Amino acid sequence: MNILGDVAKELLAMFLADARLTISILILVAIAAITVSWLHFDPLIGGALLAVGTVLILVEAVAREAKRSGS
Amino acid sequence: MDIGHWAVAAPAVGSAFLASLVEVVEAFTIILAVGTLRGWRPAAIGTLVALGVLALLILLLGPLINRAPLHILQLVIGVLLLVFGLGWLRKAILRAAGIIPLHDEEAIFASQTTRLAEVARHHTSLDWIAGLTAFKAVLLEGLEVVFIVLAVGGGRGLLWPAAAGALAACATILCVGAIIHRPLARIPENSLKFAVGVMLSSFGLFWSGEGLGVPWPGEDLVLLTFVGLFLGVGITTASLLRRKPREALK
Repeated sequence: MNILGDVAKELLAMFLADARLTISILILVAIAAITVSWLHFDPLIGGALLAVGTVLILVEAVAREAKRSGS
Repeated sequence: MDIGHWAVAAPAVGSAFLASLVEVVEAFTIILAVGTLRGWRPAAIGTLVALGVLALLILLLGPLINRAPLHILQLVIGVLLLVFGLGWLRKAILRAAGIIPLHDEEAIFASQTTRLAEVARHHTSLDWIAGLTAFKAVLLEGLEVVFIVLAVGGGRGLLWPAAAGALAACATILCVGAIIHRPLARIPENSLKFAVGVMLSSFGLFWSGEGLGVPWPGEDLVLLTFVGLFLGVGITTASLLRRKPREALK
């Protein structure tokens, strides 16, 4: 039993079970950061972007998996 | 303690407690298989050693997290919580909609028992393998709990309340399990996972925003709005997918 290997696999699976979901979240946070820090928009717009973006990412991830399972 | 602090403290302790319930139920199934087949000594030793390793991780990483600059810490933990929380919520919605199967503790118990019985045919001394199986189960299931305790407790002085919430869940499941002596198949695991996914996603959104300097309206109380948002979206998506004929998805 390779316990360290299994621990490493478990840690990776915790954050990369759905790679597209992870990448989408990273891109969303980067866009919000650019909006607030570089483009100097009102920080609340960055917050609204985060809130709407996370909901859209969640719905897309669920719909994608549902479609994949149905096909 | 003011209401704003409770708005963070209650979901933090609640997340740690509920997430631990889910993970401990899964680990308990394997501990039960080990205990039933090889006796309780190797199962207990494996479990206690793994709990010790997990406690050590919290003791080592907790103070390190508290030393990091608050904004960076909030952003990094916020993003990790979003990834982790939305992942749990996605899976819980798919299970609630019947698209992927529910976690079956009876089936896992049966497969673990068969696997250990198979190993027993080839080894005269199985105790260390049984102990190692229990150790691995608790360690792997506990890693997610350690992350949640550190993420929701670190940086806000809630590490010990969150750890206490996780420990309370362990004690609850072990007591119930010791009494009924069967896999805990009746625990509404997916509902718990749904609730934890909602709370972790809310924390993730809140802390990512705080890390970016977003002045959330209502400060800490906005967490409750996020909980409502993710809960509403989750329940609506699951019920829409349940109703939708499979053909329409193609």
